[in-house]
Amino acid sequence: MTTVGTEAIAGFFDDDLAPLVRRMADRPRGEGGGSDEDSREMRAMVWQGLAGLGALDTAEPVRLAELLGSALYQGPLLDTLTARELAWDVDLGQAPVALAVAAEPWSVTNETISARRTFVGFAAEVDHFVVGGVDSAGPRLALVRAGQPSITLRRYEETSRGEAYEVEFADATVAAWAGSATAWAAALAHARVRQAAYLVGLAQAALDHAVAYAKTRRQFGQPIGKFQGLAFRLSELSMHIDATRMLVHDRDAAEHAAAGLAAASDLARTVTTRTMQIHGAAGMLADNDAQLYYRRAAVESVRLGTPSQLRRETYVAQE
Amino acid sequence: MMPAFTPEQDGFREELCKLLCEDDVRGEIARSRRMPYGQESGLLDVHRRLGKLGRLAINWPERYGGADATIVEKAIVTEEMIRHGVPENVHSLGIDIVGMAIHLFGTQEQRERYLPGLARGEITANVLFSEPGVGSDLASLTTRAEPDGDGWRLSGRKIYNMKAQHSEFALCAARTSTGPVNFFGITLFLVPLQSMGVVIEPVWNLSEERFDLVTLDGIRVGPEDVLGEVDDGWQVLGKVLPLERTGLDHSAKAERTLAALRAHAPPGCEQRLVELETRVRAARLLAWRCVANLHDGRPDEVHSATAKWYTSETAKEVSVAAVELLGPQALLDARDPEAIADGVFDAALREAPGLTLAQGSSEIMLFFVATSKLGLPS
Repeated sequence: MTTVGTEAIAGFFDDDLAPLVRRMADRPRGEGGGSDEDSREMRAMVWQGLAGLGALDTAEPVRLAELLGSALYQGPLLDTLTARELAWDVDLGQAPVALAVAAEPWSVTNETISARRTFVGFAAEVDHFVVGGVDSAGPRLALVRAGQPSITLRRYEETSRGEAYEVEFADATVAAWAGSATAWAAALAHARVRQAAYLVGLAQAALDHAVAYAKTRRQFGQPIGKFQGLAFRLSELSMHIDATRMLVHDRDAAEHAAAGLAAASDLARTVTTRTMQIHGAAGMLADNDAQLYYRRAAVESVRLGTPSQLRRETYVAQE
Repeated sequence: MMPAFTPEQDGFREELCKLLCEDDVRGEIARSRRMPYGQESGLLDVHRRLGKLGRLAINWPERYGGADATIVEKAIVTEEMIRHGVPENVHSLGIDIVGMAIHLFGTQEQRERYLPGLARGEITANVLFSEPGVGSDLASLTTRAEPDGDGWRLSGRKIYNMKAQHSEFALCAARTSTGPVNFFGITLFLVPLQSMGVVIEPVWNLSEERFDLVTLDGIRVGPEDVLGEVDDGWQVLGKVLPLERTGLDHSAKAERTLAALRAHAPPGCEQRLVELETRVRAARLLAWRCVANLHDGRPDEVHSATAKWYTSETAKEVSVAAVELLGPQALLDARDPEAIADGVFDAALREAPGLTLAQGSSEIMLFFVATSKLGLPS
């Protein structure tokens, strides 16, 4: 596979596919909507499409992540990119991988691990887990093949109504051990930059949605976007997005990965909260994407640490 | 500012808290929050129990099921119900808005017909104002009331209202005449909901409670169903809506979320927590200032707008901050077995966007303060 840019992938999320992608991991509340099975098939198809377009070997992973955020893509691609940065003795091929890493104790033998990991994304549809934990030997990472009877999954009931799982590994067989703590730190920094880019893309898409609405929705005899109170707020958000985008695409982004992610995390929550207000009660309706951006931003903005954890980490590292 | 509570009022609050902390009450509240989405409860036993004690509409006259108490006691009831997690929409819609409107502007017959049932927690009511495309600019509403003998037939669609499925009747705004000034010509009707000519459909949304789309398909109402004067509903709206805008419901919600946040926040959040606590304290003071204004018979619309804006924005900020400080744990739904604090954070997060939209959006409050308080040109 040659390394490719992101133009082809941008074209893949065309006007027909994009609305389906936005909803492909959203279990509707109340009645109606597609089944879980339909959604899973849709995600599998999108995975095939993205892998076929070279997403796993892209030369522009940060641009790709931003694009995924703007499409509100939900699936194991970002975790898989991180897993592929770690050196493994086994060939991952094009298999999807989920990260189940926490700086928490686990119990380990040469061939097995036992641990409970929370908020693992898309656990029911990956081929492997990267499980991380800490024991007397320090932090380590294990590659564990999915589908073993020793692994149990439970899907959370949570705000995004997506694919977040609690995963219990009970003497699960390890396929390979990887990396040193340094290798993980580097991979995590890159993962954080990509997550920040994803959030920038998400924020931009939420803003675009609100701007389109503000141009057409009329109240008090004019489009609401003509009210400066609203217009200035939208401009401000646009400029904040621009500033954060500069951070995530900067060549030194990985050096400031934690702080950059904290900024993107605040950005995504702020933009989606404020754009909800622009949409009025219509934005709360199940079929309106405004509430989808709002819920996704809540989940995605704390996936790799809360802003205060990330900032503390940054501060301690600077000491 | 905060009224100086009398020893009786303090005692009343204490007694109320005791009731709301009883095991069966807490159990009922927790169960109601875990009901499958779409099967939300209407009035609970706790409403009926408070109703029987004359507490639910405590500031109404005894003959209408109240206890002749003041607005201060009423505010204590609202505040403690929300602090203890009692689902409050059914209460605030039925008593604080519709009941209050009838109490202030209804005929003797309307009061006797509706108020005792509302006060006892036996029936509830909702509000049919907003329409598809008609929200903040309420004067542009299009629901028609066509003359029919000595009465009218109502036709139109009302959306973004809640609890229609549990309500016996609704306070509905409809256009009885048209003219150059669109504030004029709106009439308020008390409309039976569970009857022919009214179709109620659920509208699924972000929050914990469904919206309803209510289609009025020529339902007939008579002169006895008009609240206030024909064509002059705007006057009633202008007086009733600010009354519910003390912001006390929002400040109490913010307090509830913040109390749970304090209990679960990890180390490192101290400064942010103190910042939020201070905001919530200010919110509560603004809300109680409005209650005190009402108590003194001097409602102040600038105070009301300030309180509505500040308390709802604060409640929203606390809800979003819970995610920021707690991380994914805050996102667990009450229905998840591992949910912390009965899932209060997820519910608050999903409710938050509505707080700054309903009962007069933040923009309406900002506009009002800009023009009426600051005197800026409109």
